[in-house]
Amino acid sequence: MPRCFCCNRPIPPGDLAVRFPCPNCGKIIIWRCSTCRSLSRPYKCPVCGFAGP
Amino acid sequence: MMSGESESTESELLLPLETLLAAGIQIGTKIKTKHMEPFIYKVRPDGLFILDIAKTCQRIRLAAKFLARFEPPEKIVVASTKLYARVPILKFCELTGATPIVGRFLPGLFTNPFLKDYMEPEVVLVSDPDADEQAVREASMIGIPVVALCDTDNLFQDIDLVIPTNNKGRRALAMVFWLLAREFLRAKGLIPPDGDPPLRVEDFEARPEEF
Repeated sequence: MPRCFCCNRPIPPGDLAVRFPCPNCGKIIIWRCSTCRSLSRPYKCPVCGFAGP
Repeated sequence: MMSGESESTESELLLPLETLLAAGIQIGTKIKTKHMEPFIYKVRPDGLFILDIAKTCQRIRLAAKFLARFEPPEKIVVASTKLYARVPILKFCELTGATPIVGRFLPGLFTNPFLKDYMEPEVVLVSDPDADEQAVREASMIGIPVVALCDTDNLFQDIDLVIPTNNKGRRALAMVFWLLAREFLRAKGLIPPDGDPPLRVEDFEARPEEF
């Protein structure tokens, strides 16, 4: 099960999560759960260190 | 140098500083949100918050690179309800092949398969998260990333990549969308790394007399 890159909680199937390639390096797929998106919690790429949003 | 970071150099800017300042992409509002704090350079004596141009340029480059990863370009939707963003978005989509949604965003466009204009985009670019709230909400409901042009008074709710810029000015919007189009075409390899798109910045500007 994928984990949210903001809160590190597992994302259950059917959750309104989003996944996208890292905007900086594109080497890793970043997952964000619906809660972290709506609370605007920051995420960080483990490969290049890019911090968003 | 219009930057709070000492390591920022002129070479990081996408255009000469004077050109960017003349377009007014650094001018914010008199309201500041906590989310936008890292992108704010200073406060003017009249109370206007000024954005960090180096960070704006860095984010434009990043956003263009990010958008260029989505294939085909028709799956990129650019939405705006703002009048001044209408022409820049149409020109941007003309150059890049993205799908424009200007004017009112019909509710259900991303979520209701029974609508005639129903579409399934892979990424959404909006010119103002407040004005384009419906597009952002529907993008979050179908789980696709949202790129947004944010001013000093915007919040990052449901936004995945922020471009800090003046999203209200006519010339600022034209400049930002032109730079995005240029960096997008460069990232795709459709123009050389030091080349310019066939349209000029002036072509991206909305003409108030035409409204």
